[in-house]
Amino acid sequence: MIATLHKSISRLAQLGACSAIASTILFAVPAQAREHLFGALDNENLLNCENFYWTGQSVEANACYMNIIRTVNPPEIQAEAMWALGDLYTADELLEQAAQLNPDNAMILVRTGELYMRTYQYQDAYNFFSQALEVDPDNAWAHIGAAEALSTGNNGEEINAHLEAVQTHFASPPGARLRAMLMSINSVMERDLYDEARDLLDQAWDFVEDEDLPTIHLNALEAALAFVTRITDQVQDYIDAALSESPGYGDAYAIPGYFASITRRYAESGEFYQRAVEVEPKHWTAHLELGQNYLRLNKIDEGIRHVEISYEGDGFNPKTLNMMRLLDTFSENFVDLTFPDPPEGDGIPKLVLRLDRNEVNVITPYARELAEASMATFEERYNFPAKEPVVVEIFPNHEDFVVRSIGMPGVGILGVTFGYLFAMDSPTGHPDETYHWGTTLWHEMAHVYTVEASEHGVPRWYSEGISVYEEWNTGPIPGIKIPAYVLSFMAEGAFLPVAELDNGFMRPTYDEQVIVSYMQAGLIFQFISEEYGHEKIVEMLYQFVEGTDEVTAIETALEISENEFDRHFKQYIDIKFGPLLSNLQIWQQDLQATRQAYAAGDWEEAIAAANRAIFTFPDYVEQDSPYIAKALAHSQLEQDDLKFETLETFWHLGGYSARALKELADEYIAREQKAEAIEVFRDIHYVDPFDEATHGKLGDIYIELGRTEAALMEYQVGLALNPLDQATANYRIAAAYKALNDNAQAMEYLMTALDIAPQFRPAQQLLLELSRSEMNTQN
Amino acid sequence: MLVKYSKQVILVFAATLLSAVSFSVRAELYVTIIEGLGGEPVFEENFHNQSQTLADASVTLTDADKVALFRGENATRANLLAHFESRSAIMNENDRAAIYLIGHGSFDGEEYKFNIPGLDITTDDILNILGSLPGQNHFLLNTSSTSGALLEPLEGESRILVTATRSGNEKNATVFGEYFVEALSSEDADLNKNNNISIEEAFGYAQRQVEEYFESQGQLATEHSEIIGDGAAQFTLARINPVVISQENPRIAELQEQLLDIDQQIESLQLRRPELSNQEYIEQLQALILQSATINEEIDQIRGEDLAE
Repeated sequence: MIATLHKSISRLAQLGACSAIASTILFAVPAQAREHLFGALDNENLLNCENFYWTGQSVEANACYMNIIRTVNPPEIQAEAMWALGDLYTADELLEQAAQLNPDNAMILVRTGELYMRTYQYQDAYNFFSQALEVDPDNAWAHIGAAEALSTGNNGEEINAHLEAVQTHFASPPGARLRAMLMSINSVMERDLYDEARDLLDQAWDFVEDEDLPTIHLNALEAALAFVTRITDQVQDYIDAALSESPGYGDAYAIPGYFASITRRYAESGEFYQRAVEVEPKHWTAHLELGQNYLRLNKIDEGIRHVEISYEGDGFNPKTLNMMRLLDTFSENFVDLTFPDPPEGDGIPKLVLRLDRNEVNVITPYARELAEASMATFEERYNFPAKEPVVVEIFPNHEDFVVRSIGMPGVGILGVTFGYLFAMDSPTGHPDETYHWGTTLWHEMAHVYTVEASEHGVPRWYSEGISVYEEWNTGPIPGIKIPAYVLSFMAEGAFLPVAELDNGFMRPTYDEQVIVSYMQAGLIFQFISEEYGHEKIVEMLYQFVEGTDEVTAIETALEISENEFDRHFKQYIDIKFGPLLSNLQIWQQDLQATRQAYAAGDWEEAIAAANRAIFTFPDYVEQDSPYIAKALAHSQLEQDDLKFETLETFWHLGGYSARALKELADEYIAREQKAEAIEVFRDIHYVDPFDEATHGKLGDIYIELGRTEAALMEYQVGLALNPLDQATANYRIAAAYKALNDNAQAMEYLMTALDIAPQFRPAQQLLLELSRSEMNTQN
Repeated sequence: MLVKYSKQVILVFAATLLSAVSFSVRAELYVTIIEGLGGEPVFEENFHNQSQTLADASVTLTDADKVALFRGENATRANLLAHFESRSAIMNENDRAAIYLIGHGSFDGEEYKFNIPGLDITTDDILNILGSLPGQNHFLLNTSSTSGALLEPLEGESRILVTATRSGNEKNATVFGEYFVEALSSEDADLNKNNNISIEEAFGYAQRQVEEYFESQGQLATEHSEIIGDGAAQFTLARINPVVISQENPRIAELQEQLLDIDQQIESLQLRRPELSNQEYIEQLQALILQSATINEEIDQIRGEDLAE
């Protein structure tokens, strides 16, 4: 046993290994330093110490635990004392000894499992609970432990089976039953089922009164429920009630803090966690959550301090280790740029870009332009001026971004908004062509406005839906874009009633349901906008400030019932997508035929099949769009005009494949259509900003049009990409500076170019011009 | 068939070929191009074009009688060994050799072989050939699949080695050679704009083109080229836009001579850079390049007038 614990700890210490347990603790409820025994053990000496601990007499409790260690007690009791005093390794050794002496004692195995839960080794913990159940199949503590270990994953049926075993067996101790009830209440609250939580809490209160059990946990959950249901005047009363029973019970604040966090009310969450660590300074999880919360609110120094405190106190927590590593990256690699610079008016910048040093010179111009445009758009469309600077963090390393967002790596998300701060992947984090980072930025910025305008009261689906709707209507590549597989689900009638749509995001029942739900939510706002007007969307958004639920908001603003809304929405989908959905199979066959013909080199058939697919679904411009195959096939047949027309249509419909667009941009240049070429290049940079050649070409067009400052920006981005041809890159910048009459800067870049390439004739010519200009000035 | 080229009148415009070598000693470049078996018509044609282009590019830089091309039935192991034996007798310590292997290769996990008619050339053969040539820093390009298997045996040798693959495990037919050869006549490859293509420039160009090739095909790259050895930036392989000394206008000829002199001064200045402050260096460089620019402008003017007449 000891070897196992040591091994696991050393494995945890290797940060890279943390991803192995990444997905297992995402939904863990915050634990406190010492878990309540709920009557699981009956040793009088130990219970005496526990009583000191839970009544806030920590000095007496420590002395009491020390006394257990110094006097003759069974090893499993000494283990409990060691555990309480923080020596988990010795506790593990003692439990192992105890298990060897008492191989038929299920409770020793149960407590070993609990110890492993405390060190975040959930699979090992589950194994111990399972061993305990082999010894004693009706052991309620083992069932509840197994259920909690499983709750760190996604094993609903098994969890329910264990909880049912606790609740239905006549011999289950009251404390185990109470733990099962607490788990159930937590679970329904996490799913926003607040009415059900209310019923369960009422049952639990009756139960603890009948059985004379502690009420601190119920009071903490009551405080959380009062908070999430916005009965704000009751929150502190319940917390005070819990603290009056156990003054050092940090979870009295941490549990409401957790629910504030998962409902995205980060400011309040931080306040709860701050109070939690004041009440219980050794509540390491609360320190971590507080630190993360500060980081979400852009209070970096405070965030770092609390994460470090958490790490010092609890080096087992992989979430803490991941955050520590991220903070190193943060301080070493990231820089802040504020805009406007210098700030105007009140002296506060409106936008902060937090970017990796290696990317800052490439990403900044585009990110700034897009961020400022989106802020202006959303301010107008949602009648909400940002009240704080919006902070945009762009991570080149996807795992860093995920850790920054949710604490653990291994999750496939692109952006996360916390309020006035959002984090997202840089295109470096997604080297494939499917990642349109400009759209992600637009999407997340929409969240900033919907979340803040609603004072963090907007339901998840509503905020996501507006962000998708804004992508389609105001984003960098407008147009409704629905992945092909989502269309298949739509054809099968997979959309949820509006009242259940949050479940599609929060508790998906199939792999694709989150994306299906994104699309449904986007289409709902498309429907509302077209049928009732955009202003109704805004009107409903502001209802969430008061805690109104989405059904009431819809019924109030649109003056139709929830059922009518669902029916009308279905009609809208039938009208808008009915013909396509009924021909979906044919379209998919044509798409497949296009691919097959192209792969076989049958260009004519590829074009014919692509034309059929385009006829059925002309708006489909994702990466497997038939337009791309058609353009390539025309290229093979040297049908340049047809290739150009196909690419142009693809682009006009919102196609964003960088490779296809680069071909189109070159075509526009060849046809002297400079304005169109500029637009295409700009679109390319929102997918692939790291291609030096595109910046050079765009800069050249700007020069031709006399837009020298724009050209200079593109040339500078090109140089920041460290191109092979440094001489040309420096020369271009020198020429742009010369055109802007900044001869000093021009000479600096020019001499860099000529140092690399002394015989570079255009650069020599520019040197002559600068030199003569200097002489003329002197004369 | 062994092909020899007639000599052309070409001015070696700057002493960049062997810039690391003392200018007082005439250093020669000896080129050997070995075209291996194609196996299929498409490869045969491809290899043929590449070796021919290489030969053409090489004579922009060195005498045609120092460029040897082996292909078809002539490209046998015996002929090649005899060729290098005679080369080792002709070359001196200051000379350099550029050897190009254009074709297919194989690697069985232990030994690399370059595929030619009859017995293949083995790793040991290559080591022996390079070892037998007088002088150091000779250049070997191997564009074949699995050519990366040569990297380890040649590591630490004072040679410059470019392979199309990074190991003997990359066994697909390669495209690297096509782009390396293309670089020798491409202005895009000439990063320092001196009209000379160095090994480093050709390698960089080819490497970038290979990346773009696989990206455009939507495929994972099946080859990753490698370069080892020092002095790749100083080793010139070809000259683009070779400057032919004016036979008709003595003033242009005079100016061209002056340009050659200035280029040598710039090269010398760049070698002395560590001894100078940045300001001193830039000032001196600027003065020399201004002279060069002025001369170039005068040449252009004279040529413009000539055309007008």
